Amino acid sequence: MTMERTVEPTPIKAGSGGRSLVVDALGVVSVVGVLIGLYLALLWAPTEAVMGDVQRIFYFHMPSAWVALGPSFTVVFVCSILYLVKKDLRYDRIAAASAEIGVMFTTITLVTGPLWARPIWGAYWTWDPRLTTTLVLWFIFVAYLMLRASSSPGHKRARLSAVVGIVGWVDVPIVFMSIRWWRTIHPLLINGQGMNLDPSMAFVLMYCLGVFSLLYVYLLIIRVRQEELGSRVDRLRQQLLMR
Amino acid sequence: MSDIGFLYAGYGVIWVVLGVYLFTMGRRQVGLKRDIERLEREIQRES
Repeated sequence: MTMERTVEPTPIKAGSGGRSLVVDALGVVSVVGVLIGLYLALLWAPTEAVMGDVQRIFYFHMPSAWVALGPSFTVVFVCSILYLVKKDLRYDRIAAASAEIGVMFTTITLVTGPLWARPIWGAYWTWDPRLTTTLVLWFIFVAYLMLRASSSPGHKRARLSAVVGIVGWVDVPIVFMSIRWWRTIHPLLINGQGMNLDPSMAFVLMYCLGVFSLLYVYLLIIRVRQEELGSRVDRLRQQLLMR
Repeated sequence: MSDIGFLYAGYGVIWVVLGVYLFTMGRRQVGLKRDIERLEREIQRES
């Protein structure tokens, strides 16, 4: 028999909203960091010689893709495995929170990519391996969220979600390797000689990657707390029904 | 649309998606806190 571990979520104190100073500071640093990133991307970074100003979309496009494919869906994968091994619903809640953030960042990637591609490739969309595998990944994790939304909370939903999360994650290395395995028109940033980028452009990219990663951590903490609050609401409803 | 138009559209989309997501999170937070307070009140009333 599987039982949820009785880990009580952080109590909600009046006026605090269950928040902490460290998390609030992380939120402020992330938002200010993103605004500085916006300045660096739009005004500080040099204009790319061939593509012109539209290439500046890259500084937020690639970090969005990184956060989605790197931390977000990998956390879903790891926490899904941990749930299946330990049967602890805390891991299911972290996976669900991370999947939602991953879908949000994949959406940004899938919308900004075509807006960058249209003036460069002459088309918003091509069935290029990188684009197609990323779209498939988006569909998989949207299905994951729909599955969760349409099932009752508990171990059955957590088990099903974990299986979808693990199987869905298999697409992540395929997305990453797609531009190496198949012929593609998608730019290859890192090759055998290192990074194909001017040092000042590389600095802006690295900065934005760091800031987006911080933003991901902040959003994940907030979403996991909300999942815990949701689970507390479910427990209170059950308590009320049993009276 | 000019190159600059695509650039603005790209960054506009990013802020809209992020803004809608943060707004949704805020609404959800308020709803959850309200639900907990209401349920705790009902439980106290019945006990």
